[in-house]
Amino acid sequence: MNNFASINKLTGRYPWISNLLIIPVLILLVVVYAWSLEGIGINAEVLNNSWFYVTDFISRFFPPNLDVLSNAVKALIQTIQMSLWGTTIGAIISVPIAIASASNIAPVWLQWLANFIQNAVRSVPSIILGLIFVAATGLGAPAGTLALSIYTIGYLAKFYQQAIEAVNSRSIESLQVIGASRWQITQYGIVPQVLPLALGYTLWMFEYNIRAASVLGVVGAGGIGFELKSYIDGFEYNKATTFMLVLLVVVTVIDFFSSLLRRRLDSM
Amino acid sequence: MHSDARVSTLKSKKLSVLSAELLVSSYSSLSTQHSALNTQHSALNTLFAMNEIVIECRDVETAFLKSLHRPILNQVNCQIRRGEFVALLGLNGAGKSTLLRSFVGLTQVSRGTITVDDIQMAPTTLPKIRRHVGMLFQGGGLIRQLSAVENVLCGRLGVRKPWQTLFGFPKQDYRLALQLLDELGLHEHAYQKTSSLSGGQQQRVAIARALIQSPQVLLADEPITGLDIMAAKQVMDTLAKLNSEHGITIVTVLHDLGIAAEYAQRALVLDAGRIVYDGACNNLQSEFAQIGSLSK
Repeated sequence: MNNFASINKLTGRYPWISNLLIIPVLILLVVVYAWSLEGIGINAEVLNNSWFYVTDFISRFFPPNLDVLSNAVKALIQTIQMSLWGTTIGAIISVPIAIASASNIAPVWLQWLANFIQNAVRSVPSIILGLIFVAATGLGAPAGTLALSIYTIGYLAKFYQQAIEAVNSRSIESLQVIGASRWQITQYGIVPQVLPLALGYTLWMFEYNIRAASVLGVVGAGGIGFELKSYIDGFEYNKATTFMLVLLVVVTVIDFFSSLLRRRLDSM
Repeated sequence: MHSDARVSTLKSKKLSVLSAELLVSSYSSLSTQHSALNTQHSALNTLFAMNEIVIECRDVETAFLKSLHRPILNQVNCQIRRGEFVALLGLNGAGKSTLLRSFVGLTQVSRGTITVDDIQMAPTTLPKIRRHVGMLFQGGGLIRQLSAVENVLCGRLGVRKPWQTLFGFPKQDYRLALQLLDELGLHEHAYQKTSSLSGGQQQRVAIARALIQSPQVLLADEPITGLDIMAAKQVMDTLAKLNSEHGITIVTVLHDLGIAAEYAQRALVLDAGRIVYDGACNNLQSEFAQIGSLSK
């Protein structure tokens, strides 16, 4: 008892003493990180040996070959077109799935089914979706667009579901008591609350899909990734750089505008 | 007595036929008409009106809750008479809100009957019952993304068909909504988004939305919880005015015994799903002291 009192007195007079307790936690953290590093197998020797190759590889990307600029722009426009349609188709399909999985609207058995569909779609990587649709429709943008639309469902259905579940239940009850019909409750109660959120998510998905579409090209599903990969495979790194720079510019510009738009939606 | 009864039912019919528009515009002329009539048959008339039962609960019970080891409402019997201002009181979890919500069919009742305006509550009669009853929810229950006037207009959804409101509301509804907001001192906030209004202003928008239905009964679930003293007083004064001047029956869940005593004529005190006190509001403190000692 006396000891505790003296410790309390000590920490009372010198508050930094109680901060010392963080030291064992820090030590534990360092141990966990070291252990993980050991597991990955990265060490100074690996880094030292690979440094040369990394710098060599990167140096071959410069300077960018601007001869292919018009090609890059063309491929990029196709990527944006793929994202636009993929996101839109996916968003449309997501709406009924989201409604069916929302706990404040749908019956439990339907929720279970809709959530299962969501999880199943979400667990398939976009590359695999690309491969599936390349097998179905052949190489090119149609395969990529369809792959994107399915990929979109996995995310937007979940986001829309959360937006629907965030609807204030009292506001819906109040419309019920007023005697509004189901359609009127949807039009005046649910849609105004869900729409700003849902539009924001869709915008984010469109932006995300431009990047996802770039990856899909690697398996031949159209878009900018297709040419990007063939240049790298053909050791034409300078041309690949042009493509990546164009992609960077477009992603930045779209991100700027969509975050501007989303901020306006958030204030709704 | 017979002729008095006829006058009275005629009057109540007239009230029910009255649109909210009349309620707003010709309210003053109506009340003078009322008072003229009232002075003639004053005593008998008020006696009759006060005795007319608007809401009656008989042995109302909700489903058994395992977590509570009892139903939320446990054999509730009560009557609300026309023109009354009744406060529902009780500790948290006593069943006040559940009882209030059962009056408009928002609570699943497993046993007993609820009668509103002589209509027994059932899924088929619910739309008819809800036509005469307005409800204020805790926090307003408004759609925060819509403007104040749009929220008030939502009160007309019950009398408008879906195709009539598909592209907005008729002009006369708009006029009416603006007029009501004006009366409640929200003139300059009519087109403001509801989420940007203060708590008290939101509750007054909710009152306007209930009034546009021209209800005979107004139920309020903790209408002043979370409001500051001034806003709370404003809301309670509005309710009192609706009660005394428009003859709207008011049932409200309250937490503040002082406010209940100030505004309500009668209190129903609930404890563990039962009504333990039904009477005047002048001795509420000691009633609550008893509840405290009982649950200990």
